[in-house]
Amino acid sequence: MSARRVAAITRRLLQQFRRDRRTLALLFVAPIVILGLLGYLIRGSQSAPPVGIANEDQGPLGGVFASALEQSSSISASTIQASDGEARLKDGSLVAYIVFSPDFSQRAQAGTVAPEVHLEGSQPGTSSPVLQALQQALTSMAANAPGSGLHFEPGIQYLYGGPGFDTLDYFGAAFIGLVVFFLVFVITIVAFLNERSQGTLERLMASPLRRGEIVLGYMLGFTVLALIQSVEVLVFSLAVLNVHNQGNVLLIFGMEALMVLAAVNLGIFLSMFARTEFQAVQFIPLVIVPQVLLSGILFPVSTEPKPLQLVSDVLPLTYAVNGLRDVMIKGADLTWPSLQLDAGIVAGFGALVILAGVATLRRRIA
Amino acid sequence: MAEAFAVDVEGVQKSFGGLRALDGVTMRIRPGEIYGLLGPNGAGKTTLIRAIVGLVAPESGTVTVLGRRMPDVDQLRNIGYMTQQAALYPGLSVEENVQFFAAIYGAEGGVTEAMQLVKLDERRKSVVATLSGGMRQRLSLACALVHKPKVLLLDEPTVGVDPQLRVELWEDFHRMADGGTTIIVSSHVMDEAERCQRLGLIQYGKLLAEGTPAEVRAQAGTNNLEEAFLRLAGRRDES
Repeated sequence: MSARRVAAITRRLLQQFRRDRRTLALLFVAPIVILGLLGYLIRGSQSAPPVGIANEDQGPLGGVFASALEQSSSISASTIQASDGEARLKDGSLVAYIVFSPDFSQRAQAGTVAPEVHLEGSQPGTSSPVLQALQQALTSMAANAPGSGLHFEPGIQYLYGGPGFDTLDYFGAAFIGLVVFFLVFVITIVAFLNERSQGTLERLMASPLRRGEIVLGYMLGFTVLALIQSVEVLVFSLAVLNVHNQGNVLLIFGMEALMVLAAVNLGIFLSMFARTEFQAVQFIPLVIVPQVLLSGILFPVSTEPKPLQLVSDVLPLTYAVNGLRDVMIKGADLTWPSLQLDAGIVAGFGALVILAGVATLRRRIA
Repeated sequence: MAEAFAVDVEGVQKSFGGLRALDGVTMRIRPGEIYGLLGPNGAGKTTLIRAIVGLVAPESGTVTVLGRRMPDVDQLRNIGYMTQQAALYPGLSVEENVQFFAAIYGAEGGVTEAMQLVKLDERRKSVVATLSGGMRQRLSLACALVHKPKVLLLDEPTVGVDPQLRVELWEDFHRMADGGTTIIVSSHVMDEAERCQRLGLIQYGKLLAEGTPAEVRAQAGTNNLEEAFLRLAGRRDES
């Protein structure tokens, strides 16, 4: 193994990227766009769906209920006529309307609280805030209704997170890892394939370079770029998006570095099985999509069907995502056995694909 | 004795699927010799060069370079290989390409000389993507000889090179050969064959004839090398 030859490959790789602005943009602008979009989508969205309230109750309870709904932050309530409700659902100006019938108070006093809830229904995501607001209003009404004598004061304790913890905090921790893994994998597989298609790999193979030197040189070059990208992603996520972080920033960076090693070497290894860039791009759905679906980024692994859990258990991203969430959400450190396991498996996967890359890089072309 | 030859190819066979690319090729090339591999496209010239450099594994037969049986990674430091396709890094400059290959061979001191040899020293800062086809070919040659190899394998080195530079390059090849470099050059251009000290005519993976250009012409009973090749190839087709 010659350090001089390894350094020559690394230096050449960095020189190439210096002039390749499009790839640099993919490495350094794309993560900001993806994470920024995710942050805006989750935190910048108008989350309160419009809901109409038609209070026809001849007693007092309909009014109490309606005012509780109007104060709810889950929905944006407005007063309507019950007869307009259906037309408003159809034209899309409301996602639901709630009618308090003329005998609402009377029936409530008899023991049946029966508001009529009309949901547009085609988008499940907009229905749940309506039902959530309704529940809150019911609780509030029970506590505040004249003469009820009830007081609801639940004492809420969070083990992790907190009242301000939101969807971006949960997804952000996983996306930090995913974005780095995905972009580094794509760039590595295409760059290594270019080496083959432009004939330079044949030339390298006819030189005194060892296979290990080629893989190591590539790995170092891409790792330098990917670690700069990791720092950028981390700073943007923590300082700009304010993604919740309870743990040590160096641990997050360490986990990202392990993912970079895995992604770079997976790219080198899989490039051996593609002859054209088009074939290389076909690996993206094969490698990335199952990991996005099954690594716990979107759905917790524990809620998956058993056969899929077995698949999740062998995907490196499952451990990386779990590790990042443990650090950022739960404040895990290296004394946690679960983090040791996660980091160990991601590192082990990286080592495995390094060996696979070296083994499959053939000196002989036939 | 194998050591007496710079390159010793002995009964090499290689097939790709049902196609026999090399069919028992035997040839011996002396140190400092310019040996021309002549034949039409698809004759087996590139496969033979790849077998010599160790990129193709023969099914039978042996290849020995400078006394060592190939493939031998350490021996590759003594070999320069210019591929048929100008295999370069398009995003790097002329100088950066030569520097890279020089660094791999530990020959950083030869960068300027190699660029001067192929008349690209004034374009040293130009990015490869902006060069003409002929310039890329010249740069590819510079990358192959930057480490002053003892054996230089050139696969169609003058394709796309203008006539004046082609003459100059051949003068350089002869100068290198005078200095002891063994050069194997493949070509399908007959006027280049005249510049070689010895020729091997290859077709369908077989060596049809071998000798100096004069000997090859005599074997075919003609004064024209192109005519000689056609006659010798025709005899093979008939048999």
